[in-house]
Amino acid sequence: MPAAIATTPATEGRKVAIALRGVSIGYGTRAIIEGIDLDIYEGEILFIGGGSGCGKTTLLSSLNTLRPPLSGSIRIDGIEIAGASEDTLQEVRRRFGMMYQLGALFGGMTLLENVRLPLEEFTRLPREAMEDIARAKLGLVGLGAHAEKKPSEISGGMQKRAAIARALALDPPIIFLDEPSAGLDPVTSADLDALLVALNHMLGTTFVVISHELASILSIGHRFAMLDGARKRMVALGPPAELRDHSEDAWVRRFLSRTASGESS
Amino acid sequence: MTSAAADVRVSSEAGRLTVAIAGDLALDSISAVEQALRAPLAASPKSIALEMSGVRRLDASGVAVAVKLHRAARSLGVPFEVLGIEGDRKLLVDLALRGQDPQPAAPRLGFVREVGIAAAGIGEMGLDLLRFCGEVSVIALQIIRRPNLLRWHDTLSAMARHGTDAVPVVGLLGFLIGAIIAFQTFDPMARYGATLQVADVVAVSVVRELGPLITAIILAGRSGSAFAAEIGTMKVTQELDALRTFGIDPVRFLVIPRMLATLIVTPMLAVYASILGVAGGYLVLGPKGFTPMQYMIEARDALTVGGFLQGLVKAAVFAVLVSGIGCLAGMRTGQGPGAVGLSTTRAVVAGIVAIILADSVLGSFFYTLGI
Repeated sequence: MPAAIATTPATEGRKVAIALRGVSIGYGTRAIIEGIDLDIYEGEILFIGGGSGCGKTTLLSSLNTLRPPLSGSIRIDGIEIAGASEDTLQEVRRRFGMMYQLGALFGGMTLLENVRLPLEEFTRLPREAMEDIARAKLGLVGLGAHAEKKPSEISGGMQKRAAIARALALDPPIIFLDEPSAGLDPVTSADLDALLVALNHMLGTTFVVISHELASILSIGHRFAMLDGARKRMVALGPPAELRDHSEDAWVRRFLSRTASGESS
Repeated sequence: MTSAAADVRVSSEAGRLTVAIAGDLALDSISAVEQALRAPLAASPKSIALEMSGVRRLDASGVAVAVKLHRAARSLGVPFEVLGIEGDRKLLVDLALRGQDPQPAAPRLGFVREVGIAAAGIGEMGLDLLRFCGEVSVIALQIIRRPNLLRWHDTLSAMARHGTDAVPVVGLLGFLIGAIIAFQTFDPMARYGATLQVADVVAVSVVRELGPLITAIILAGRSGSAFAAEIGTMKVTQELDALRTFGIDPVRFLVIPRMLATLIVTPMLAVYASILGVAGGYLVLGPKGFTPMQYMIEARDALTVGGFLQGLVKAAVFAVLVSGIGCLAGMRTGQGPGAVGLSTTRAVVAGIVAIILADSVLGSFFYTLGI
């Protein structure tokens, strides 16, 4: 049975963008995390965290339709994706953008072409309009001046921002981000956080972020969902600062206050 | 560097083994300490204690003694304690002991199970191949119905990269193969007074067989490997996942343009290789006094439309095999730094094997038909 998870008052009454019920994830028949019950609300910034190898990225690949969950139900905008046909999944994929850990920009294309690609594939806009939109998205992430460069010609932080621009290409209501701050210096990481908050405020985009970055989780996360590989379940859900200070679970408090396992939290 | 050996005192009282270490417990003294512990541990003590209060210098390798004793105690099922350490040293030892409980060895698989697992792996590969062929066929049909689904720009650039850029090497090899065949056949043919008929041999073997074959082998080395490496790298860097989450089918986006480009350029390259191969044959007959016109007429008379078409069909089949195998190897790339290299090797080896197999099948097919 999944742990009873209370929704915080701030999220009550808001529309659910993604609903998970009894979701188990894993490889083959081996479950890593079982029985996840989680509502992700429209316009929230939800961080998903946990120890290394606890299944965060696997959960994300179930949310982004690439890996079906072992069991349970995942609804995005009310559409069930567990066991859905390829056509349904295609329909759902239009409703979210995805930023991969290493950016996963297409190396043979310029940043502009990368961002324009989803527009070319899914819209019938005139080419000029597609280019303008792509330039605008690159401008939003501060890369307007680098539109003609290839991914190999820009830094890792810029690649991540470009990947966010590409995820924004079709103005999806939901964006998934896998470790957006990994490997970035603190200033670039803070800039990225500021960008997510700005986009969240301006566009009302829902962000589901896999991250270990405590500074980001505590400063911009509306809620934090914590997975624990040892107990094979989601062990906490709530505002990050509240969980850090008042969670009944010592592991959650330690995780969020960055306390070494030998010390008392 | 001082390399003072550690002083190890081992005492055993009522089954309790106490190991007291004094001096330096570090990388340079660890081996002597472990040597001293071997016999006492073999005596199956009832409890083990490590006394470290006399340790003067402890480094991260020295902690290995604590790990060794801890693991020995665990496997004997007896208690273990470390005495005489505190602060940073205690932290170091505690960190090193974490998760050091001996894991039960994985049960050995029986022969039948191992064979079963291997067979399942081969079956999965076969299924992957079948799925890939199905996917390519379905998307190819969709593109025939709606040509705007094809990424024309990518197809054209693949044609340039894998066709135009291959012209020099295909031409050179084709020319030399023609010359080699002429060299090798001239003397035996001369014995029968059929020197001019060397042109026949060169023309028939190059146009029907060796032109397409050489072209396909170069294609496997140049393009099959490139397809596997390009797509494999995209898989490793999650670009394939990115395509899928955009709702873009990687087969339509990456595989079809490469396969189509190869399918178009390979027969052209094979014809080009054949022309140069026939020309290469004249390298041997020219100095023997035959005029270019005599050589050309003889070669032309030896060739048939069927033979020419046979070469074209072979080239097209080889193109589909090499490009399909290269792309599939790329899509099946695993994780880790060596994965792309492995896929590339697979693409080339499997590509060449497939070419030769297909060639033998097609050769006997055309022979049976009398073409």
